[in-house]
Amino acid sequence: MTPPISTPSINWLAISPEIALAAAGVVMVMLRSVLRRRPITMPLCVVVAISGVVAAGAVEYRLWQVVDHHRAISTVAGMVRVDLFGIFLGVVVLGATLMTLLLSVAYLRREGLDAPEYLALVLLSAAGMLAMTTANDLIVVFLALEVLSIPLYVLAAFDRRRLSSQEAGIKYFVLGAFSSAIFLYGVALTYGATGTTSLTGIASFLAHNTLLDQGTLLAGIAFLLVGLGFKVAAVPFHMWTPDVYQGAPTPITAFMSAATKAAGFAALLRVFGVAFPLYRADWRPAVFALAVLSLVVGSVAAVVQTDVKRMLAYSSIAHAGYILIGFQTATSRGREAALLYLFVYSFMTVGAFAVLTVATRRGDDRHSLDDYRGLALERPIVGGLLIFFVLAQAGIPFTGGFIAKLEVFSAAAQAHQYVLLVIGVLAAVVTAYFYLRIAYTVLTPGEETSSAKPLETPRRVDVWSGLVLVACAALVLVVGVVPGVFVHWARDATFLL
Amino acid sequence: MTDFPILTAIIATPLIGAVVVTMLPSRRPEIIKAVGYGFTIATLGLACWLLADFSTKNIFFQFVENQPWLPGIGSRYIVGVDGISLFMVVATALLMPLSLLASQRYPSQRPKAFTAWFLLLEFSLLGIFLSLDLIMFFVFWEILLVPMYFLIQGWGHERRQYAALKFFLYTAVGSALMLACILVLGFLHQGATGVLTFDYRVLAAWAYHGLSLTTETVLFLGFMIAFAIKLPLVPFHTWLPDAHTEAPTAGSVVLAGVIIKMGAYGFLRFSFELFPHASVNLAPLLLTLGVIGILYGAVVAAMQKNLKRVIAYSSIAHMGFVIVGIFSLTVLGLDGAVFTMLSHPLTTGALFLVVGMLYERRHTYEISEYGGVWRSAPMLTAMFMLAMVAGIGLPGFSGFIGEFLSLVGTFVSRRPWAIAGAIGVIFAAVYMLWAFQRVFMGKPSAITLRMPDVSLREVIVVAPLLALSLFLGLYPKAALDRIEPSVKRTIVNVELKTGFHEKRPAGYSKTTLPKGVTASESIRLGLGGP
Amino acid sequence: MTEFYRQYLSVAVLIGAAALMFGAMLGAGRLLRPNRPQPEKFITYEAGSDPVGGWGQSNVRYYVYALLFVMFDVEAVFIFPWAVNLKSLGVYGLIEMAVFIIVLTLGLVYAWRKGVLRWA
Repeated sequence: MTPPISTPSINWLAISPEIALAAAGVVMVMLRSVLRRRPITMPLCVVVAISGVVAAGAVEYRLWQVVDHHRAISTVAGMVRVDLFGIFLGVVVLGATLMTLLLSVAYLRREGLDAPEYLALVLLSAAGMLAMTTANDLIVVFLALEVLSIPLYVLAAFDRRRLSSQEAGIKYFVLGAFSSAIFLYGVALTYGATGTTSLTGIASFLAHNTLLDQGTLLAGIAFLLVGLGFKVAAVPFHMWTPDVYQGAPTPITAFMSAATKAAGFAALLRVFGVAFPLYRADWRPAVFALAVLSLVVGSVAAVVQTDVKRMLAYSSIAHAGYILIGFQTATSRGREAALLYLFVYSFMTVGAFAVLTVATRRGDDRHSLDDYRGLALERPIVGGLLIFFVLAQAGIPFTGGFIAKLEVFSAAAQAHQYVLLVIGVLAAVVTAYFYLRIAYTVLTPGEETSSAKPLETPRRVDVWSGLVLVACAALVLVVGVVPGVFVHWARDATFLL
Repeated sequence: MTDFPILTAIIATPLIGAVVVTMLPSRRPEIIKAVGYGFTIATLGLACWLLADFSTKNIFFQFVENQPWLPGIGSRYIVGVDGISLFMVVATALLMPLSLLASQRYPSQRPKAFTAWFLLLEFSLLGIFLSLDLIMFFVFWEILLVPMYFLIQGWGHERRQYAALKFFLYTAVGSALMLACILVLGFLHQGATGVLTFDYRVLAAWAYHGLSLTTETVLFLGFMIAFAIKLPLVPFHTWLPDAHTEAPTAGSVVLAGVIIKMGAYGFLRFSFELFPHASVNLAPLLLTLGVIGILYGAVVAAMQKNLKRVIAYSSIAHMGFVIVGIFSLTVLGLDGAVFTMLSHPLTTGALFLVVGMLYERRHTYEISEYGGVWRSAPMLTAMFMLAMVAGIGLPGFSGFIGEFLSLVGTFVSRRPWAIAGAIGVIFAAVYMLWAFQRVFMGKPSAITLRMPDVSLREVIVVAPLLALSLFLGLYPKAALDRIEPSVKRTIVNVELKTGFHEKRPAGYSKTTLPKGVTASESIRLGLGGP
Repeated sequence: MTEFYRQYLSVAVLIGAAALMFGAMLGAGRLLRPNRPQPEKFITYEAGSDPVGGWGQSNVRYYVYALLFVMFDVEAVFIFPWAVNLKSLGVYGLIEMAVFIIVLTLGLVYAWRKGVLRWA
């Protein structure tokens, strides 16, 4: 008789956000297979999807209260750790997911892609992202990485009839799988060096033991950084970003740029902050290089783009550079800055892509700068919102983007990272230039040629997309004007242990 | 003095105006224009009230408001006005309605956007001159870029794209470096004292002894680049002629009148109080750059074929006088610099407005296209001539007082630079008179003969500027009484902080603080505490 | 140079060697090969066949079957060790495995309804 295997105790509340999302996803797939193509299927699935996200959000709210009053919840044998840090980024992920769902409703109908699978995949990916925000074990990080990635590969290629969408899917899949493998190799090497995959376990092992030969561990750390650097689109692991962002259906681009980045940075900040604080001297120079490269390549390459989606893709690379500055300082102010930046950035970028979604015509393939010429004159509200979102991303004062950048620069100044500080502010100038160019194009009337006119009259913005636009704009504006409360939240969420 | 937050009202009025304008329907340009005038004139009214209420007794900041704004970063909403900023506020408020009036006919396309950007521009300018918190100062400095970029890009002339880009890149690079320096300063202060603040007065009382000389010099240079680009000092000046030439008339007026004063204001307000050692040590460098600006601006202005470029380069020369006056580090020189900062908007503003009127008639700035304008438009010629002589420093007009004081101050402290600068005064007469001769004198062509003379509206636009210039030239005491207490405080603080001694003309007594103000109070710029 | 940086020296040497080799290989090729650009050379397969829509060696339908097979294969891999330890895992383990199998079954139902199991 074998001795009884003790199963880990599970705090169900702590993992119920993930369960809510995954369950909603499974329910949708079932609805699809039972009801098939009845007209009721799609609305029903939308309701299920939104209620899944709302339920997960409600649980996160409850968790925030619990964790704020007591202490972080560590469960499933310490593999999951629900703390304010995880909840904060979980809320960012859920916010981006909800926006994506709302945005997708009208988009799917317009593009003739009505498929509940789309919504289910978004939710499953979001479940993986949520798992990522609370993962306290390298194995869980890897699982979450896969769970969030695989649906995204499919979603990127979801508009099958469009070649660029297929290309995006394949490119994302091949490079993503490659980076996952690298990450896994990093996990293995780290395990080889320390004998554990638990983040807290690694930290305490390294605190109490001195490694005679650090090579294995250093290689492991490097591979972990590469694997996660791919997910957050940091240069030089950014090659996929412009093609995938350009090719994927626009709501999915919004989802990828906001939620995936939040999840990726959650893992980066937690793995390196919790497990390897003692090896700061080793990984900080590497992150320094990533930050500098991301800032320079992201901002300079964006200038020469003519496609707005590609421009925003490169700008998201530059944004990753700013967040990396906060990460690189390895101080609590730096983490606070990174968190606040992720929060603001998510809504800025979802807002910008939301405008692209509603402004373009059926086909989702006309995104060159010329196609947006004079948008603000023909459709003042939509065009005005695009101007607002790009100016916010440029970091113009009184928008959330300014506060976020200011926080990041403050963190760099406090940590005496003057080189990063100067490169950061100069990159901000370059990015501001092409954001202004977008804003100016949108404001200028085009030449009155018949071909430049859209083939169909501008469509009314549907209620759901309108809701997304208004919510994003309001949040970005509110953070810019009264940032106090948001800074306070981000500060509460910085304490990892 | 009442509790009414007059400075907030001054800053907020144009912003509210901009928001109101965006709400109006674009089909009704007359309402938009009326609202634009309404809000700019209301701001001017508030500024006049400020001028009347301003006390000449208080050498520190008046009407100070202090509210928390960004608690996480330690930045507060602090506004206040002293003798150095007072006249910049008034000049800004005065130029704005006049520029709008001047461009009544010209931006026929999209008056709504034009008015909204213009009000936003006024908002940011007033914020720059009134902020006492470094982050806030930067915020307004940065906002300014957006309306100015759109004004040049949207309503400029042929090469506006290029000019707007150049303007944007130059200024943004400068302000980016300034932000880096502001943050470094703030966090060094936090590291030393544990208090995170960007209150200019607190930092000024700490920085002179809290920073090493190297750090101070590096930070001074960081700020200097931002200010020197705006001013513009000679190696950083190439954006200015393009921006001036391509901008619409109203934009040129504001650029020459107020925006380039931001740099001089920055030196006076921030460099002296925050980095006194570096300011004293590097004064010869700045003086040299200033003199180069005077001579270079004058020589290049004489070579220009484009009337607007002549005035643009003359602005570079004028700003050279300002910087020479500032870094003479004498009360006289600083008086002269601040006075020029008040007088130059009036004279150059008037010049640009008159040139704008020429452009509206003939749609060119090329000097060779004109000739003999006086025959068909004698009033226009007279206005240009008055503005010109006021600008080149004819005694009796304000331009003379400013230049004279700057040069006297420099002559006392740094004689060679003063002599070199004085040569520039002669050059100024040369290029302006030559341009005047080629445009207004001589034999008119057929088109020029059909040119209409000025309308009543156009006289109304220019007359107040010239009248004020004349008034200040005849009775400069009105302005100097308000400027001098703050200037004296600045010089005394530099002396207290660095042990430097101001050079004075023989027979002048040492500059002192007024009775009842102690040295430590002065260093803390009137802020309470130990 | 401190001990800290010396540890990285070998990495730097390796990177340098890799870059050198990379450059030498490509550079040699560039020097040696003739250069005759033709438009056909830029398409995916130089043979000229369109990569989309043609018939490969195997029918794409096998691919879906392979996926389903892997699914059940992996399921079996999980069930074997579980079955051996069923007693010590108790009711809790039974429920867990039930949840696992149910989720997989739902996947099968979906595939079935989508017509994956039909050949036509």
